[in-house]
Amino acid sequence: MNIRVTVNGRVYERDVEEHTTLIRFLREDLGLTGTKEGCGAGECGACTVFLDGKTVNSCMVLAVETNGSTVETIEGEAKEGKLSVIQEAFDRHHAVQCGYCTAGMVMSVRELLRRTPKPTVDQVKEGIEGNFCRCTGYQQIIEAVLDASGQPELANKGELKHA
Amino acid sequence: MLQRFHYAAPATRAELFSLLGEKKGRARLLAGGTDLLVNIRNGVMKPELVIDIKKVSGYSGISWSSSEGLVIRPAVTINEVLRDKEVRDRYPLLAECAHDLASYQIRNRATVIGNVVNASPCSDMAPALLCLGGKAVIASARGEREVPFSEFFKGVKKTVVQDDEVLDRIVVPASSVGARGSYRKLKRINGHDLGIVGVALMRQDGTLRLGISSSAPTPVLVDGLKERDDAEKVVAAARKAISAISDVRCSKEYREYMVEVYVRRLLAEVR
Repeated sequence: MNIRVTVNGRVYERDVEEHTTLIRFLREDLGLTGTKEGCGAGECGACTVFLDGKTVNSCMVLAVETNGSTVETIEGEAKEGKLSVIQEAFDRHHAVQCGYCTAGMVMSVRELLRRTPKPTVDQVKEGIEGNFCRCTGYQQIIEAVLDASGQPELANKGELKHA
Repeated sequence: MLQRFHYAAPATRAELFSLLGEKKGRARLLAGGTDLLVNIRNGVMKPELVIDIKKVSGYSGISWSSSEGLVIRPAVTINEVLRDKEVRDRYPLLAECAHDLASYQIRNRATVIGNVVNASPCSDMAPALLCLGGKAVIASARGEREVPFSEFFKGVKKTVVQDDEVLDRIVVPASSVGARGSYRKLKRINGHDLGIVGVALMRQDGTLRLGISSSAPTPVLVDGLKERDDAEKVVAAARKAISAISDVRCSKEYREYMVEVYVRRLLAEVR
């Protein structure tokens, strides 16, 4: 089936098989391998991308469903070679260990900060509940989100304080 | 990699009904896809045709009127329900159940109708819909019929919806506006997870209802109770209505025990 999708501002027209998922389409047809597939069943969130402005698990969307839609992935996060505020905060706080969850994590954090520009620690945890980090680097990720939202002081408070 | 199937996105109910009639059970409906595509991936379902219902005219949006109540259509996602002002103001129990369903990005795709029509014993939307007296309006080329959710579920993953039919809309009656209620869901972790047990309790005009998930082959409604009934009577009715089993998530005994714990807590909390 022929589809036309805008990904990170660029229009792609491709013939895709009807059973192809969005993640396969992004990675294999478009070569955008920044987005990772983890569980393939909506548990881990590694494959999170924006579809028409909303975060979705791209392993559970068919490519044909995105005909006429806009998709944003981690490849669109940095602009003109400059990391985004979220990416810089992840870098600063060592919120990346193996890196497999990072692409999806950054998408969920962007969505969280759009909805809630100054989230509390609990709101950060809820905002990333659909994204698993199996290195369990959650503390650094939460610190990075608090920093990216202009609240670095919260990162060193309460339950997040290092012993 | 998913197994092969064909994809159709009908624009009208008539086209949808004709595709369903043609395929006679070899088609599956796609709304959010958060269950369907996992089932296809795991080989649990092997449809020849996947029919995307999101583009069917009239299948989007939530509406409310004092005559009809709340109408939820097939493309309505869980997050749309959570954002809807009418739902939050008039049916807070529905919003509470919706909030406990999976993760944010799944709620962006998963639909209310998908959650009930899949008829998982651990459906999060069913307890609220059972308590609130919700009805399923089921449509096909043969016409429409209404089934209250108390008669909708027939077994694990089984409902009254036939192969040529579609759950066309959910109606929550206006008479349930103002009911007091709350939902408790026990999970293995604080993050997103399927429920170990889920209990909704609703009080309105002297009556008391429970909607219980993950504790029987189907979500269960416990009806016929009064607000003034003592806790022992309510607990006994809940225990009688469920038929818990042991599975990967917990034992039968723990389930029964936690249903009782949640019923007691909710009785004290929802006044």
